[in-house]
Amino acid sequence: MSNDIKSDELLNKIDFSPKYDKGSGNWMDTTKSVQIRPGMYCYAAKAESVEMLGLPNARPWNPLEEDWKLPDNWQEIIFNGLKERLEKFRTFKVFMDICVRCGACADKCHFFLGTGDPKNMPVLRAELLRSVYRNDFSTAAKILSKIPGGKKLAGARPMTMSVLKEWWYYFFQCTECRRCSVFCPYGIDTAEITMMAREIFNLLGLNIDWIATPVSNCYQTGNHLGIQPHAFKDMLEFFVEDIEDVTGVNCTPQFQKKGADILFITPSGDVFADPGTYTCQGYLILFQYLKEKYGLDITWSTYASEGGNFGSFTSHETMKRLNAKMYAEARRLGVKWILGGECGHMWRVINQYMDTMNGPADFLEVPKSPITGTIFENAASTKMVHITEFTADLIKHGKLELDKSRNANRIMTFHDSCNTSRGMGLLDEPRYIIENVCDNFYEMPPNTIREQTFCCGSGSGLNAGENMELRMAGALPRANAVKYVHEKFGVNTLGTICAIDRAALTTLCEYWVPDVEVYGIHELVGNALILPGEKERDEDLRFEPLPGKEEK
Amino acid sequence: MKLKQELKKKKHDFIKKWFRATIDTYSPDAARILGKDSNRFDNPIGAITNETCEDVFNHILEDFTQVTLEKKLDPIIRIRAVQAFSASEAVSFVYALKRIGNDLLDESLGREFDRLVDNIALASFNRFMKCREEIFLLKATESKRRIHRAFERAGLVAELSEEDLLGSKKS
Repeated sequence: MSNDIKSDELLNKIDFSPKYDKGSGNWMDTTKSVQIRPGMYCYAAKAESVEMLGLPNARPWNPLEEDWKLPDNWQEIIFNGLKERLEKFRTFKVFMDICVRCGACADKCHFFLGTGDPKNMPVLRAELLRSVYRNDFSTAAKILSKIPGGKKLAGARPMTMSVLKEWWYYFFQCTECRRCSVFCPYGIDTAEITMMAREIFNLLGLNIDWIATPVSNCYQTGNHLGIQPHAFKDMLEFFVEDIEDVTGVNCTPQFQKKGADILFITPSGDVFADPGTYTCQGYLILFQYLKEKYGLDITWSTYASEGGNFGSFTSHETMKRLNAKMYAEARRLGVKWILGGECGHMWRVINQYMDTMNGPADFLEVPKSPITGTIFENAASTKMVHITEFTADLIKHGKLELDKSRNANRIMTFHDSCNTSRGMGLLDEPRYIIENVCDNFYEMPPNTIREQTFCCGSGSGLNAGENMELRMAGALPRANAVKYVHEKFGVNTLGTICAIDRAALTTLCEYWVPDVEVYGIHELVGNALILPGEKERDEDLRFEPLPGKEEK
Repeated sequence: MKLKQELKKKKHDFIKKWFRATIDTYSPDAARILGKDSNRFDNPIGAITNETCEDVFNHILEDFTQVTLEKKLDPIIRIRAVQAFSASEAVSFVYALKRIGNDLLDESLGREFDRLVDNIALASFNRFMKCREEIFLLKATESKRRIHRAFERAGLVAELSEEDLLGSKKS
């Protein structure tokens, strides 16, 4: 009898835990606190920014210090925060319960593929939160915990400070790109798990500054950079001068015009950050062309001067607040519908969340192109159309005169932004435009584009400077594909339709593929479009000589 | 010459073992996935590590300089320079070659081979430092390039430009 194994001994012998980190027993053992490594994390939110938004626990703090200056009842706040969200969001509850740890997502995350850190496998990152969920909320796990060895079997662990620090470190190593969800047989959207984790952080004042300060700026001034209306107008007027130098045509836009047909909103990065500024000039050229040829009546607004929404990386309440101002301005001006610029997460917010947050926008009309008569049914409820849909439709109907030869020196590939591709299925319109304004276009390999596109590694508010190592590691899978087409086809231009991408991919290329430049699609349109009354152009919008116009 | 002939003969074994040793510098759970021979776009670390091991090994069979060697090492070092490795861990994979050499080569060739490995190690350390410097430079210049330059162009801020400060713009 003495040789018989007792049931609890048998259960304890089952090792279901991942095999790494054997030194500390298993991955759930957080007695050794997670090592927060410089280069991999973003600085803590400034107290003033948190305070401005009326979010809790505004104070200076430093992630590297042991004391995060949390309220005494922080565990209770997390418990209640999780409880509220599990009750409110059915998806969150389902995602907590249904993962079978099949591992299909494990090697799909750019952060795992770039850092080689197993906790960046989406399954394991989510498990950091699930393990606490099992401890506190799952009935099955509670029953299991009563039998010998059952706690380990349930994969449950209590909420401790070390667990919280680990959450914080790894949920800010997820760009909410949703590539993993494409491969999940259950359709678990790991991005939404990250969103929930970040909401919990915000209940404790644990946001990062690269998110909190832009949100605070946007809330006060209307855009992430905190640029005031007169400076916003100055920048656009400056672009008008530059465009006039290149084309000889004045493209002065309208601001805050009441009763205009369309309100145009773009991320502020297009107005203030290179190389997005050239994309912005492309918009101005297009609108001037359409005004001259077809009488398009479109207005910009210095109040709705931000299409992006870093609120979506904070909490659903904050996202709603920032999103509302675009629609408030559309209502105030009395436009028919909204045209949106080249942006990524702005479109995820519009397509997936706007309608149930601030919509339906019944006071606007279903978007209809005043030039082609096309009705954008896909935007029937949100009333907001992506500019590549609008421009592709114009080209399709032969409404634009384009001189492709001006982009002949651009050997293109196209990076699908995570949010526009996976968040709204915008796949072919940008490609259609590229093919109509450029002669040379080569796709990256199929497992790196369209729905399977790799993130730039800097999305969801992680485009800071202090986390450069994380960004460059996360960018590796994308860069690897860019490098391939660069070497194989001589690609020198990476096209994109996202403001974060235009900034992030530029740095990515500098590190990984230095001979490739980043262009917005409407910069190429701006170069190719033949404006009525234009002079013979010698330079492109970057003041570089056009093909064939180089100095001999 | 004899060493190179031996290395050539055992090239495949060397490369295979070196790749394995390099991948094993990652945690076992990651190494299981990264060590797979999968599509190079689904597994960039694995693919690039494998290709670089092969390239570097082929390169040392030829006439090489520290400069050409450094260039061959770039893809693998560039990756390891942004991962959670200390400087010594990042280049440690080169020293795995000594152990492999011990197993695969005749003892009489040991010292010469070790000297060769030392050269690779020195080149990899040079490249590691260059990659780190690039990262610091990116950190330093990115925000300036992204926002400040647009303001400068628009005349909204008046400061000496980088070119002025460096004296490249002679009046």
